[in-house]
Amino acid sequence: MYRYDEFDSVLVHERAEQFRGQVARRLSGELTEDEFKPLRLMNGLYLQLHSYMLRIAIPYGTLSSRQLRKLGQIARRYDRGYGHFTTRQNLQLHWSQLPDVPDMLVELAEVEMHCMQTSGNNVRNISADPFAGAAEGEIEDPRILCEILRQWSTLHPEFSFLPRKFKICVIATEEDRAALLIHDIAIKAVKNEAGEIGYRVYVGGGLGRTPYLAQEIGSFVEKRDILGFLEAILRVYNEAGRRDNIHKARVKILVHQIGIDEMRRRVEAEFAEIRKSQILELPAEEMSRIAAYFAGPVFATPPAVSPEFEAAKRENPDFADWVKTNVHPHKVAGYAIATVSLKPIGKTPGDCTSEQMEALADMMDAFGQEEIRVTHEQNLILPHMLVSDLFALWRELVPLDLATANHGLVTDIIACPGLDYCDLANARSIPVAQAIQKRFADLERQHDLGELKIKISGCINACGHHHVGHIGILGVDRKGVENYQILLGGSGAQDASLGEILGPGFDSEGIVDAVENVIGTYTHLRHDGERFLDTYRRVGAPAFKERLYAR
Amino acid sequence: MPQVLTANRLQIGEVAYWAGAKGWVSDFADAQILDDADAEAALKAAAEWVRKGEVVGVYLFDVRVQNGAIVPVKIREAIRAAGPTVRRDLGKQAQHVSL
Amino acid sequence: MLVEVKAGSARIVDDIFTTLADGEPLPDGPVIVSLKRFLAEKDGLLARAHPLGVRLETAESPELLGPELHRLAAVALHVHHFRDGRHFSWARLLRTRLDYRGEVRIGGHVLKDQIAFYARVGVNVFDLAQNIALRDIEAALSEISQVYQPSVDGRPTIQDLRAARAHGALVPPT
Repeated sequence: MYRYDEFDSVLVHERAEQFRGQVARRLSGELTEDEFKPLRLMNGLYLQLHSYMLRIAIPYGTLSSRQLRKLGQIARRYDRGYGHFTTRQNLQLHWSQLPDVPDMLVELAEVEMHCMQTSGNNVRNISADPFAGAAEGEIEDPRILCEILRQWSTLHPEFSFLPRKFKICVIATEEDRAALLIHDIAIKAVKNEAGEIGYRVYVGGGLGRTPYLAQEIGSFVEKRDILGFLEAILRVYNEAGRRDNIHKARVKILVHQIGIDEMRRRVEAEFAEIRKSQILELPAEEMSRIAAYFAGPVFATPPAVSPEFEAAKRENPDFADWVKTNVHPHKVAGYAIATVSLKPIGKTPGDCTSEQMEALADMMDAFGQEEIRVTHEQNLILPHMLVSDLFALWRELVPLDLATANHGLVTDIIACPGLDYCDLANARSIPVAQAIQKRFADLERQHDLGELKIKISGCINACGHHHVGHIGILGVDRKGVENYQILLGGSGAQDASLGEILGPGFDSEGIVDAVENVIGTYTHLRHDGERFLDTYRRVGAPAFKERLYAR
Repeated sequence: MPQVLTANRLQIGEVAYWAGAKGWVSDFADAQILDDADAEAALKAAAEWVRKGEVVGVYLFDVRVQNGAIVPVKIREAIRAAGPTVRRDLGKQAQHVSL
Repeated sequence: MLVEVKAGSARIVDDIFTTLADGEPLPDGPVIVSLKRFLAEKDGLLARAHPLGVRLETAESPELLGPELHRLAAVALHVHHFRDGRHFSWARLLRTRLDYRGEVRIGGHVLKDQIAFYARVGVNVFDLAQNIALRDIEAALSEISQVYQPSVDGRPTIQDLRAARAHGALVPPT
């Protein structure tokens, strides 16, 4: 993974000191809250319902054991001993205090981490396929470009006060494990006919009040041009994005307003000039330098089949269940990608205690795992496990409540913190997730239902990505009472689609029954091999509506 | 409708309630219940505390009587007063019995 | 307080311009007028013997100044609320494609924390509402000592420094 050189390191230390100065100016009264708020947001610090919340950047979701251990320590020392992994691959601490934050930033800087631009109207954490470097069919490691973009976008003098937040995602396989098209800029590494690698660029995705999937703006942008092309998009957006209405300020609104063709025309005009100047041309040398950090581990050549692994599955049905859902094929025979579920039944989806973080860091060291990944579905990935080590890993995960065998199943729910924590929320999301988990806890039933992605947001800002859930749930405030709308048919995979609202919402009592009813329609109507999403797409909403609202 | 004035403490971020002469208190139970006239005065007085950098985000919210006790009308304020409903071991609710 | 910034150092300068409201009669001497007034009274304003400046609000692109841009002594970018970041792009545009060589000043609601960014994209004069010590302005300019991105100021980027080092060149002092 990327390692800071002294330039990167000095920068995050200086940024921490700069923030210390900003906090001091706030506490002395030199800065009003109105002036301080955008500055603290630029360092990921929110004021939530109960306390400050600090959002720590985890660039492209990748952490070393040293970093994971430090996160556990920081959560213990400065917070309440746990953190929450988010749908943008970051970590949130919900109980921070303002005077502590500068010290927290210094501790983070010591392990090459920071909180820059995890909030605010700037380019946010750039996300990537959590299977990077391990998946079959990958054109190149998408994190190479992510790191290049991270540096280009950090403290960018022109783009630090955009109309609104800006989210970028990079993948490099046909499979989309990162919800690519819901980003403001989506980038897919592709090959042209000559076999050269370049980038297909999309613009204008985003959820919230008016969700859109990103549209293609550049079918093949050469590597040396990618920074210039992105700079052109950002410039067009910074100049023309709406500033009058916070709900109409994302680039998706601009694209929708002027149309993708006009957007492309403007971007290409700007890009032509940038290209002429050559100042953003990315030297192949620099790209190779960064690429070298992502070369990955030196893989051994284990036998394709591990007798111990096979025996363990036979002798231990719980382990076999875990393997069924939480272990994925690796590009190298004898290796596997393991999902550590942060969705135990009845707990908060995506939460992780300091003890769990530290124990995982120890496991990483014990099993030679240089990296752990955070997914946008709030789970963790160990990307390069030896198949022969999986049983030993699982045995360590079990007592830590990290071995829930539910990856991709109905209880693997994505939920934002919601009204239990968040100042923006209208309804609670976590208790709904927990109630659904408990209703469907039976593993056999879960396996029968197969892949079923439920995503829950506590408000229209859609941090729970409800628009791209197979079943999406949106919590709203209906005359002072929490109310939940159901959307069906969304997908954040390569078959991306936005969910459709099914009908009137349900209260806290009724929503779980409603979800069970909808799932019942699926089991009633499905053909062999169909996932929930497939059945919905085949039969449409009417059958689901009828069975849900028939009284 | 009776109201309560609330804010967050600037430094620690904790929820606080206006208690009139006593200033800002941490417990909803100790908050001053304000009628319309009081509410105006309280907002004005609170502005001074914002200026001094003690609190941020001052606003009024509705309360009502339920079973003889004063409770917030909106669930958001009930949660702010107590803590996350999914972690009863955290927040004000863990420090003492509240709402 | 008018501050001129050059190569990381700051000095207080006198404001030779009078900034005029739209209806106000022209005094004897250099003036800064709104874009609206400039476009309406262009010939008359340019015919005067005094330096002329035009004030742009954040919604007003410098392209609206037209070819007479180069006859202006100053372009005064005005910020109504510091959250509005369009002037960063307008300043950059002035200095690059439009190749403007005169004074680019910024005034209005500007935070100390934005000074370094504005300076990078080509603003050379700051019209600050509050009094900030020159020392603090210079600290603001240098508190992040290296930059990742190339910009109008032509500063070597971290990438340049890495490449120079890789090729055995001496790293230039900053």
